[in-house]
Amino acid sequence: MSDIKDATLTPEVQRLHEGMEKVWGNPKGIRALTVVNHTTIGLRFMVTGAIFFLIGGLLAMLIRTQLAFPDNDFMSPEIYNQVFTMHGTVMMFLFAIPILEGLAIYMIPKMIGARDLVCPRLTAFGYFCYLFGGIILASSMILEMAPASGWFMYTPLSSGDYSPGPGSDFWLLGITFVEISALSAGVELVVSILRTRTQGMALHKMPLFAWYILAMALMIVVGFPPLILGSILLELERATGMPFFDVAGGGDPVLWAHLFWLFGHPEVYIIFLPGAGIVSTLIPVFAGRPIVGYGWVVAAIIIMGFVSFGLWVHHMFSLGIPQLALAFFSAASMLVAIPTGIQIFVWLSTLWLGRPRMTLPMLWIVGFLVIFVLGGLTGVMLALVPFNWQVHDTHFVVAHMHYVLVGGMLFPLMAGLYYWLPQVSGRMPSERLGKWSFWLIFLGFNITFLVMHWTGLLGMRRRVFTYDTAMGWDLYNLISSVGGFMMSAGVALLILDITLHFRFGKRAPQNPWGADTLEWAMPKPPTAYNFVSLPNVETRHPMWENPELPRAIYEGNHGLANIEHGRRETWGSDALTGKLRETIHLPSNSWWPLFASLALAAVCISLLVRVYWAGAVAALVAVVLLLRWSWENGAHPKMAPEATLEPSEPPLHYHTMNGPGVWTMSVSHLANGSLYLSLLFGWFYLWTVAPEWQMPQTSPLSMPLLVLAGVALTLGTLLLAKLVGRLRQDVDAGLGGGMYLTGMLGALQSALIGIVIWQAELAPTESAHDATLLVALIYALAHALLGAILCLLQGLRVGHGFVSAEMPMEPVVVLRLWYYNLVVYWTLFVAIWVMPTMLGGAS
Amino acid sequence: MKHLLRLTHPIQMVGGLTIWSIWFVAIYSGLSVACSVAPPDPGRDIWTGINLAVGLATLGTTALLLWLSWAGVWAARRTSVVRENYFARVSAGIYLFSAAATLFVGYPVIFLPPCL
Amino acid sequence: MDPAGPAASHQFWVWWTMLFVSVVVALAVIALWLYTFRRREQPQRTPRQEQRIMLRLVLGGGILLPVVSIVALLVFAAPTGRGMLPLPLPEREAERIEVVGHQWWWEVRYPGENGEPDVVTANRLMMPAGEPVDFRLTSADVIHAFWIPRLGGKRDMVPGRYSTIRLEADAPGVFGAQCAEFCGAQHTGMLLHVEALERNEFDAWLADRRVPPGPIDDEDAAVRAFGEHCAACHTVAGFPEALIDDEAAHGIQGPDLTDIGSRPTLGAGVMPMEEDAIAYWLQHHQTLKPGNRMPPHNHLDAETLQDIGAWLETMEP
Repeated sequence: MSDIKDATLTPEVQRLHEGMEKVWGNPKGIRALTVVNHTTIGLRFMVTGAIFFLIGGLLAMLIRTQLAFPDNDFMSPEIYNQVFTMHGTVMMFLFAIPILEGLAIYMIPKMIGARDLVCPRLTAFGYFCYLFGGIILASSMILEMAPASGWFMYTPLSSGDYSPGPGSDFWLLGITFVEISALSAGVELVVSILRTRTQGMALHKMPLFAWYILAMALMIVVGFPPLILGSILLELERATGMPFFDVAGGGDPVLWAHLFWLFGHPEVYIIFLPGAGIVSTLIPVFAGRPIVGYGWVVAAIIIMGFVSFGLWVHHMFSLGIPQLALAFFSAASMLVAIPTGIQIFVWLSTLWLGRPRMTLPMLWIVGFLVIFVLGGLTGVMLALVPFNWQVHDTHFVVAHMHYVLVGGMLFPLMAGLYYWLPQVSGRMPSERLGKWSFWLIFLGFNITFLVMHWTGLLGMRRRVFTYDTAMGWDLYNLISSVGGFMMSAGVALLILDITLHFRFGKRAPQNPWGADTLEWAMPKPPTAYNFVSLPNVETRHPMWENPELPRAIYEGNHGLANIEHGRRETWGSDALTGKLRETIHLPSNSWWPLFASLALAAVCISLLVRVYWAGAVAALVAVVLLLRWSWENGAHPKMAPEATLEPSEPPLHYHTMNGPGVWTMSVSHLANGSLYLSLLFGWFYLWTVAPEWQMPQTSPLSMPLLVLAGVALTLGTLLLAKLVGRLRQDVDAGLGGGMYLTGMLGALQSALIGIVIWQAELAPTESAHDATLLVALIYALAHALLGAILCLLQGLRVGHGFVSAEMPMEPVVVLRLWYYNLVVYWTLFVAIWVMPTMLGGAS
Repeated sequence: MKHLLRLTHPIQMVGGLTIWSIWFVAIYSGLSVACSVAPPDPGRDIWTGINLAVGLATLGTTALLLWLSWAGVWAARRTSVVRENYFARVSAGIYLFSAAATLFVGYPVIFLPPCL
Repeated sequence: MDPAGPAASHQFWVWWTMLFVSVVVALAVIALWLYTFRRREQPQRTPRQEQRIMLRLVLGGGILLPVVSIVALLVFAAPTGRGMLPLPLPEREAERIEVVGHQWWWEVRYPGENGEPDVVTANRLMMPAGEPVDFRLTSADVIHAFWIPRLGGKRDMVPGRYSTIRLEADAPGVFGAQCAEFCGAQHTGMLLHVEALERNEFDAWLADRRVPPGPIDDEDAAVRAFGEHCAACHTVAGFPEALIDDEAAHGIQGPDLTDIGSRPTLGAGVMPMEEDAIAYWLQHHQTLKPGNRMPPHNHLDAETLQDIGAWLETMEP
């Protein structure tokens, strides 16, 4: 096996490395805030996530201390409620999701042979959103105003009447902020995996880990928007009194439960899939053979991704939904057993047919298996409606959930941590300390939660702050608490081990575990540019089939080994075949992500302290900053230094019509569309189900104006499509004028929608009907405005020469937005005007 | 766009479950709307139009998915490109799973009344 | 874990069967995994043989095993849910009891038939044994959940909605019940005392409460104090309207106190009902049940509270 240390560099290649370092390297000092590199940002994500894990763990210890003895008065009920709410919230939103995103951000480009993710500045923006959102949320604990309605925030308990303090606002605003980060990571991971794989890596040749992350990212993109919508609606209800979830005003508290669990159940699989991805990556390495049944695993991933969206109601079995409907969800929940079973037995067959080695990462994998299988089995039991009615909201469910989440996510994550540690630090972890911490955590975990199943069956409810000794639960609770503290000791040892290894660990060889994937072909610790030359990979196991790869890459023998132009470049390839399509020019370090996220943080804080005018100003500033950020794009001189030195083949991406920007826009619209569908769901749900919903006899909206606005939109879209069609034929005459005209049509549409809203004289604080209508119209208005502004900016850019027949990409991206607006606007028109008019004031 | 409809294209891997999801949303929302607009008399137990409609939708969707699965196997046999063969087989498997899933999820209509 | 009704005992058996099967499956899978690390030499296999072994494992373990288990579950166990549906009974209508959740106590209503008044009580639920009872559930504020563990499953109580759950107690007895959906500060202290009686005893109990109460002495100091400080939130049937001071209302409804003297617990199960318990509760309720919605009575002297307590203890049908 070749080692990079054995490589001999000619002076020319030496210069290449130095040039790469100059273009890609991270600045020091205050400018470190401008860094966009995925390796750095991925590590920042993971370290921040680990800190939140410790905070969440501390909260867990407080809970176990309180419950260790009956009638304990260690905490008051108010504080206890804050503690368990924050434990769940921190673990789910600030630890599990971000740390897995961080791992994916760090690992994916390295595994698929790219130099960075496709939108590096978006990566940085996502990190800052996460950091600021997390800090805002965590600060509520120091201020003793933490949310106290449970991590699921059921209305009306979380709404203004029953939680008057700012606790719920902290939750809603902080979490929405953090979710922006999840969405941005989700979007760019999808596009990166599909479009920036190295030459020859066809879809069915990419590492399984990339399949898992692709599924996770798509699930984030589709699954998070329902909660974002729910949070916006609830915050509106709390701030202005719009009665979305209030029965008296025509709303329905169950709508919140639907929106929350529409997100909440996929969330569990969003957490599990990367964990399983780690297992699928490690098992072949330690079994010393390729995974058997790659296709089976891909099928299982896809099935899980879909079926997990058909389960949300199983958290609501006791909400009084008709039993037949429950039976559908019950059956769907049981179906998940099949893809899970497939994966577990594929892993087993791989071990069976290989020669497995028991190493420290493998120990964690076996721990994962034991815990996860138990959690899965109790999961199947819980899917059964009558049994669920009995144990729902008891400690049985608490135990089940921790088995699935800790087993399915934490244990694989630890396995991955130990496995990839040499890749990050260039040093090997210590076997002895690692084993100690494994056994402490493994035993501590089982002592805590195995017993808890029984406590739950005995009838101990979730979220009670104490219990009476007469119930006979004393001993079980004490055992659980002891186990919990054992687990904490294990975590402390783990941290010690990791810290010590940076100083005392043995130097790691090039490929210490004998792995098959590309990240082990890199220098250790990793260089900012990952690979100085990008290899041609046509196998699933590049490192097994070509052990000389690390040296050959390092010596610059492969593609794109050129830095004269001073650009950050990586390959764009065909989503299906992996054939080269373009050279992607990636943006470099920038202040814009930090500034934009700071403005958003200001919005958040203004809303928290209820100074709404300041919130509006900050929101405006944020929009201006984001648009300014978008201005420095494409052929802008800051973006494209020395644009004269261009590669001839494949062309730079802004010379093409189907570059990564178009893909990013499309995937973003998947998220946006999910938000829109959730809004439509809310509208129809309240219309048909809410007990006090009032549908007026005639629509308050002016039909002629609505249709006129739609005509303006349609004309604008047709015009823009024609402009793009001409660009396709290399004609850019009249492009600028056409752009301005389209922009004007967008402005006309916005103005008309504005007049419709003004004329309708809605009373959004009195009826949920008017409130929902207003939100829907504002959604349409915001999109119309965005379409108009982007077209006007495009007109300006044509004037500056940033957009032309030579550089035709941006209009294609804008056209996607207009297509989206077209579909959304007309379907919305049908939903809010045509259908109510046709069906009249029914129900 | 037409090439997306070929059973050898990887987009077909999500086709089966997309159909399943649409069917699932349709029966769940149909059931909810039917129960809030015109709930049948509880005395009729399972012998209602709602159960019948859901049952027929289930059988129809199952049949469609089974056919697609079979067509996928066929497409895999016809092609000689390794990649296309691969995706056609995986898609056929997922179509088969979707068909079974449809039947399994729809089965409770034969023992539960719709709106209680 | 000590079932006392058909729904609960069914679940009991479902649970033990599931547990047994699960343990066997889990142990088998884990043992197979560990075994792969223990083997010494591996025979050389051709790719074809490997493919066969893999298919056998994945088809058998990954598909057949879960399919068989979930089909068995759905076919045998899922129809048990039918028994909890409020389907019409062949002989006669099931007894109907309405339960309303409040932060953090229970309102229980027995609908009157043929123009009879409703019987309203709080924090104690009497039900006939040996026959199905339909509980009609709703909430006055946030989402609560109604759960009598030994009789069967739980059901959420959603404001603005009614949902019905059918439960049955096999024999007379006392059962604990509790709120099972997190509902705020005193979720823990929201307990309900459930008692199943023989049909004739239940009828007698109900009939006692349908008798209009005797006249209340409106000169009594305790009665006047109750009217001034308590009656705006707490109803007592037949209490003289003229004595009620509406100014004292906090916009919150408190438990109906018409038969409080006969109830076994106070504060929704927080303390047992004994001699002078009410007076003690009135003085210390914010430490006994921190955060509860009744304002503290620091502005009243102990004697007044004693009087009110003593008078309330006489409130029995």
